[in-house]
Amino acid sequence: MTDDLPHSPLDEDDALAAEYVLGVLALAERMAVEARVRNDSAFAARVTAWENRLAGLNDGYGDIPAPDLMPKIEARLFPQPAKARRGLFGWLAGALAAAVVAVAAVVLLQPAPPAPVIATLGEADAPLRFEARFDGAAITVTRVAGTPAPAGQVQEVWIIAPDAAPVSLGLLEGESLSVPYPQAPAGWTLAVSLEPAGGSPTGAPTGPVLAAGTITEL
Amino acid sequence: MTDDPVAELIIRVAAQDRAAFRTLYGQTSAKLMGVLLRILGTRSEAEDALQEVFTRVWLRAGRFDATKGRGMTWLIAIARNHAIDRLRARPTAVQVVARDAEDADPVEQVRDTAPTAETRMIAAGEARRIADCFETLEPDRAEAVRGAYLGGLSYLDLAERHGVPLNTMRTWLRRSLLKLRECLDA
Repeated sequence: MTDDLPHSPLDEDDALAAEYVLGVLALAERMAVEARVRNDSAFAARVTAWENRLAGLNDGYGDIPAPDLMPKIEARLFPQPAKARRGLFGWLAGALAAAVVAVAAVVLLQPAPPAPVIATLGEADAPLRFEARFDGAAITVTRVAGTPAPAGQVQEVWIIAPDAAPVSLGLLEGESLSVPYPQAPAGWTLAVSLEPAGGSPTGAPTGPVLAAGTITEL
Repeated sequence: MTDDPVAELIIRVAAQDRAAFRTLYGQTSAKLMGVLLRILGTRSEAEDALQEVFTRVWLRAGRFDATKGRGMTWLIAIARNHAIDRLRARPTAVQVVARDAEDADPVEQVRDTAPTAETRMIAAGEARRIADCFETLEPDRAEAVRGAYLGGLSYLDLAERHGVPLNTMRTWLRRSLLKLRECLDA
């Protein structure tokens, strides 16, 4: 059957999905496929089908014990817990926190306000500027001034814990990007870099930083 | 779903369960390290990649769909994709050096485990099917497909290794893949 239609568009798409899963494509082709996977659910399903078909080959990979990298991974993802406070200062801080909670409770009784801004990326008069908001469950980064990346490139959003490597939150393919996040980690940096279409291939920013800002206490 | 404990952990990770995230690391990091080291060739780069892979697992766990595949397959796909992207992003000269250094120690270590694992594969149920389907391919083409998948070889690498023009390799591999699909979906 397939010999009758070796070059039908269906087979062309499926062969491309297979080549991607196999891993034989060059970087530019891989980036194009990854962009398509994000935007074309039928094509993404083809990729998943090939991942499942070839999963039997995964037994060819042996186990190699890895060191415990969880502390580093957690430092990239989660804010450090606040240090335990002691003595009178601790009691004062506790009382203060209780007062803040009381005020917050009053504020929460008001009709739902828009999610608060947690960071501004770029100076107030910069031609390209972004704003980050946090609604309690997700961080949303929106371009509030300026234009999208030129053709063939994309704006990628990063979150950076102190002394840790940047973590990609995703690509700004439209005007905004929303990523589920349990809390807004104060003191961490949000940044937008210019990357080749499909995003940074290495997992670290490769292009110039277009804008950056620090997350402030809510 | 109880037959896929890794999938259950990923679902808990999607619900922001950090304890489940640690358990998932404990149970799957050795396998993923095996994948990353085989493709990237050096321990330091594989460890860097492992951090990135688990970071992505945390951020993408909500997109995992247990009805579409097994948890381990999903994790290995994230690890392979990241490792291959990294490999392709290297300057060409570095890729050649890395390939020439294959006799050096960590890769050899991975290689040694591979034949055992491939023998095991013949016994395993899901894997027997793919082994049978590989039997339907010509041996050098089956070898090219397996080498590409496990080692992250590019079309360029494969063409060099098998001494054929790149376009010939592409035609070979595409035909082999469609043949495999026919056999595996039958």
